[in-house]
Amino acid sequence: MISARKYVRAAIFFGLFALVTGGLLFQQMPEEAVAQDAAQDDSGSAAVQEAAPDATPATSNAASVECYESIKDATKLPKVDNVVPKYGYPNVKCSPTTGAVLWYGDPYYGTEPMGEMPKFNDKTDGDFAQAVIRPRVEHLKTLIQTNMQCSSCHPGADPATQQNDPRQLMMHQDIIADAQNLQHGRGAIWCFDCHNAANRDTLADQQGNEVSFNESQKVCGSCHGDIYSDWRMGLHGKRTGEWKVGGKKRWWTCTECHNPHTVQEHRFQPIKPEPPPALPRGMSEDDFKGADEHGGH
Amino acid sequence: MSEDKRKKDIAEGQDDGKAKESRRDFLKKLGVATAATTVAPAATAKAGSIAEALQTHFRLMSDDEKKNAIARLEKRYTEQFSKQVTVADTPAPEGVLFGYALNISKCIGCRRCVEACVRENNQSRDPAIQWIRVLRMERGNNTFELKELNEGSPSSNPLGDYGIQSGGHADKHVGLSGSTEHYYEPEQVPEDDAIYFPVQCQQCEDPACVKACPVRATFRDPNGIVVIDYNWCIGCRMCQLACPYWARRFNWGEPVLPNEDMNPKTHYLGNRPRMRGVMEKCTFCLQRVRDGRYPACVEACPVGARKFGNLLDPKSEVRKILATKKVFRFKEEFNTDPKFFYYMD
Ligand code: SF4
Ligand code: SF4
Repeated sequence: MISARKYVRAAIFFGLFALVTGGLLFQQMPEEAVAQDAAQDDSGSAAVQEAAPDATPATSNAASVECYESIKDATKLPKVDNVVPKYGYPNVKCSPTTGAVLWYGDPYYGTEPMGEMPKFNDKTDGDFAQAVIRPRVEHLKTLIQTNMQCSSCHPGADPATQQNDPRQLMMHQDIIADAQNLQHGRGAIWCFDCHNAANRDTLADQQGNEVSFNESQKVCGSCHGDIYSDWRMGLHGKRTGEWKVGGKKRWWTCTECHNPHTVQEHRFQPIKPEPPPALPRGMSEDDFKGADEHGGH
Repeated sequence: MSEDKRKKDIAEGQDDGKAKESRRDFLKKLGVATAATTVAPAATAKAGSIAEALQTHFRLMSDDEKKNAIARLEKRYTEQFSKQVTVADTPAPEGVLFGYALNISKCIGCRRCVEACVRENNQSRDPAIQWIRVLRMERGNNTFELKELNEGSPSSNPLGDYGIQSGGHADKHVGLSGSTEHYYEPEQVPEDDAIYFPVQCQQCEDPACVKACPVRATFRDPNGIVVIDYNWCIGCRMCQLACPYWARRFNWGEPVLPNEDMNPKTHYLGNRPRMRGVMEKCTFCLQRVRDGRYPACVEACPVGARKFGNLLDPKSEVRKILATKKVFRFKEEFNTDPKFFYYMD
């Protein structure tokens, strides 16, 4: 048996040797010819340049490109060119079809240190020293639309905030369509369980401590403790930056991926996917539809 | 370009004597280059490409040879893409075994990982090559009713009834999960009736592809990433056949990569531009992870379904996932021992 296997191995070896030598000659020859062509006239690189513009319409007028990260219309990010001059990287590259951020040239662009996190004294006590976040405050819907702080219309405490009794809102329907039917907490919570009645520019946790909109985890975590501890360990949610434990990472905070006002309908707001891969050459979409009832489009 | 077309080109070239000419030229220059490499390596661009043809396997190169090979490539790519291109030779970090974990209960099938990978790793845009495939699977639908249990096929037949199938149902299975496909294109994801399952190179500990490669052009690096020396690859596609995960992609045509889309930060064993006739696949973004960065797909995933880190560090995200979540490996029965783990919350 062993000798037979040896035999086979030798045969394979010699067969492959022929393949190798043949393959090497075969492969290097045309390349050499191409290199010569390119040296003689510039046709080779010219062809590449011609093909370029229509392949990426988004990159040409870079200054005006606005992308989004997780939630469409709520996690906006402008594309800025040449943020990493060494490689000519923009801060992000975005999808020409959906406008979604696809690639980070600089994962820390527009971030700031996350700041103090309460100690847990358990295994979830992560290394927060190098953690950065992207501030949420400037993305708040009313701020973007009116350029006003919440407190400019809602100064001071409102006595009505004492009872758990939501009324129909006159404004902010873009944020919450039906305040009496909040899609969060299954009827058990209302606005001022999270929003700070005394200072509308902030949130408040279960103990009534003021919490910045940038640190939603401190509010969300007071109910969703299991997810909060997973998040601290890096198991839940998204991070970008360095893979090393304790390395510099951007942590995504809760409201960058979840909309707390609709989270019961969709934990993650559905988005348009990137286009499907090209069909194998010679295969038409009709062939494909025939082959699989779900394959259409 | 297909193999046939390539053969045809060569055949046609021979008809008008051009290929003969270039073959003779090539042999002539081969002699010159052999002399050139010993005296003044990479003296000219042309000598460079011949030196490249004569180059040995990356792992067998001396430091000087590596330096020359990289200088040649940097020069060539910089000219080709009209921008400063770097080809790194960053060594593998010590004490690291890279592992990947993907949360299939979170993945929404948006394919941002696929597109991020293309932008990071300089894949050919036409013919389009993608290293990640996102499979869409139907959720189980419990439409089966008990009374149908013995109504299976073959039930009746023009040639006569040959009995019903007992104890099962050939046409309709209980809680049937239907097809798996990757060309899905709904308006929005996630769809209510689907789950998504992205597949890419699993960086096997015992890789079938490496065993199949007749010239050892593909091999495991010290961090457990399976890489390819594109210059050493002969394009025989043995590895593609051997891989149980459909992870490898072949450059059938001359890759087309527009200048402004080209990522100029490259690594010799990672995302440097490939040529026609060589194999390529996911390398966990070798050029990034050896510099400490997360792979591009990890950063692109909008739901944080992708986790990456050092399997030797018990505090790393992947190790904590292995310790606390429901984890499995794809096609474990092939015994290739992947470093890519799928998990659920
Ligand atoms: S998944 Fe395939 S290509 Fe990747 S290491 Fe395993 S066998 Fe090789
Ligand atoms: S980017 Fe994330 S959610 Fe989207 S398909 Fe890839 S793994 Fe799934």
